[in-house]
Amino acid sequence: MTEPLLRVRDLKTYFVTEQGSGTARAVDGVSFEVQPGETLGIVGESGCGKTVTSLSILRLIPEPPGHIRPGSFIEFEGRNLLTLEPRDLRAIRGNQIAMIFQEPMTSLNPVFTVGDQIAEAAIVHQRLSRRAARTRAIEMLRLVGIPDPEERVDHYPHQMSGGMRQRVMIAMALVCHPKLLIADEPTTALDVTIQAQILELLDRLQAELGMAVMLITHDLGVVAGSADRVVVMYAGQVVEQAPTAALFARPLHPYTEGLLASVPRLDAPPAREHGRLHGIPGQVPAATAWPEGCRFHPRCPYAWDRCRAEAPPLLDAGGGAEPGTHTVRCWLLTDPRRRTPHS
Amino acid sequence: MTPALVDVRGLVKHFPGERRLLGLGPPRAVVRAVDDVSFAIAPGQTLGLVGESGCGKSTVGRAILRLIEPDAGRVTIDGQDVVTLGARALRALRRRMQIVFQDPYGSLNPRMTVHQMLAEPLAIHRIASGADAERRIAALLEEVGLDPSFAQSYPHELSGGQRQRVGIARALSVEPNFLVLDEPVSALDVSVQAQVLNLLADLQQRRRLTYLFIAHDLAVVKHIADQVAVMYLGKIVERAPAPTLYGGPRHPYTTSLLSAVPVPDPKAQRQRIVLAGEVPSPAHPPPGCPFHPRCPHPKKDARCRTEPPALREVAPGQLAACHFAEEPL
Repeated sequence: MTEPLLRVRDLKTYFVTEQGSGTARAVDGVSFEVQPGETLGIVGESGCGKTVTSLSILRLIPEPPGHIRPGSFIEFEGRNLLTLEPRDLRAIRGNQIAMIFQEPMTSLNPVFTVGDQIAEAAIVHQRLSRRAARTRAIEMLRLVGIPDPEERVDHYPHQMSGGMRQRVMIAMALVCHPKLLIADEPTTALDVTIQAQILELLDRLQAELGMAVMLITHDLGVVAGSADRVVVMYAGQVVEQAPTAALFARPLHPYTEGLLASVPRLDAPPAREHGRLHGIPGQVPAATAWPEGCRFHPRCPYAWDRCRAEAPPLLDAGGGAEPGTHTVRCWLLTDPRRRTPHS
Repeated sequence: MTPALVDVRGLVKHFPGERRLLGLGPPRAVVRAVDDVSFAIAPGQTLGLVGESGCGKSTVGRAILRLIEPDAGRVTIDGQDVVTLGARALRALRRRMQIVFQDPYGSLNPRMTVHQMLAEPLAIHRIASGADAERRIAALLEEVGLDPSFAQSYPHELSGGQRQRVGIARALSVEPNFLVLDEPVSALDVSVQAQVLNLLADLQQRRRLTYLFIAHDLAVVKHIADQVAVMYLGKIVERAPAPTLYGGPRHPYTTSLLSAVPVPDPKAQRQRIVLAGEVPSPAHPPPGCPFHPRCPHPKKDARCRTEPPALREVAPGQLAACHFAEEPL
């Protein structure tokens, strides 16, 4: 097996809350790896810690109130990002690891042209001249499918639609040909036909540039279409990780199962025959007070005494899967006969 | 067939363009937000109104309730003409028709408790006061799945799902029979979205409610709607019973939209039609068929660029506004 490009081990990012109501353990012992060239999907609902995980990788967590706990480990191409000097970190950030955000409206600077914003990274990291950087910006705009790039390069963000701005964000992120692109909900704010365009663009660019992508999303449909492997997060932890096909064919964590059952589907018979959605009862607990034992047990239809008392580790899925490829944080794996929901 | 509870005919809402340069420049083009929209909803049924941002779907919902004044068209609810009604009669009719908004953060007054928000409509419409009001408020909260102790909470103390339940309880407090649901679950996480969709389905059955369900999510609409209307640039381009529309869309826009929705199944071998370009501005809609610049139909020709297609019946119960609706993609 090849060396992973990114290795995150036991990442803990905590926030001290204002009212003194305790420490929010937003990310609480997360481990995963990203292989070169692959797309890793990170799925979960609001507050599960998926965005804090990605910001921690780039060390963009505001300190205070946040801090990454000692013992956390984020290794990119063999170097621990958490102990790098700011200078060395800057050489990686925006250059070898780039990020695109959900809100293309607020992540672009309104007072600079899109050309200037794309060129900036090339000037800083690759020492291109202004003129060469401008040419590169035009190339990038063409690469991400913006018509009339020679003209568009001098436009300001407000002159562009949401879909165009997201293309500009992608152009900015890719201008230095990063090895890893972190895309945090890149299509959530977009209409479905524009979302399809952006997802196809990301697929194409990934194949052309050979980069790895960490795709953070709440949308299981997006993950199913784009990711090679999926990490499911709940309450600051990884609860299941598996190759995409295996996860959708055999979701083993009750949370993953519930999430899949919650989604209304186009490929299902319509409502009148189909009846109710099997959602997940209750709601995500607060990060300052994760439940004891398994953090999902208060909402879990299978929970028994052990789940309330003892926090499960990530266990191997078995069933023919190679060890370590499909892991699940659930006691059911030690006692599969209990997989019958209480009323 | 039972007469429709809600009947909308030829609804039009145009927004005047604002003048540039402190009102001195030339006026901007008129935005044709809603352009000749017609549909009917039978009692106890749900019409799903779908489309992308800016297609005019929310404007339709608001114009029906006269939260904004329509420019032309007729809207009747239970036989009563809404558009010509005077202020007093309109207020009385508001008891029959209510709206639930998308944003459970922005649509609740942050300085009012849940109790105050639910008591207000009861007082305005002289429905109940005193002990009777208290009993109703407790019953309403219970009906939307909230513990009556939430009555003393302020919106900021509630989660998104709980706030949306309060929004629904507030709409139900005056015992309407028609609800406009404007993207009621779009701001919610999927597990909470499922809870709220189930609640809306239960309430509809129990209270025999009629819904206009406005959404951009085609899978959600498929789950909840009996009839579906698809809007593009202020016009309905296709309208049919849900199983018909999802089983065999006839307008190329509907077909493309359906193909673009990501399905949570990695094995699904689907042909995704990626539409080129973006939705044109409703201030400058293209001539002819408004969809022609993005249309992937192989047969499209000069007629599409010049002659606007009428919304016509292309199959029993199925209407589409396309010159080539008989030859699907």
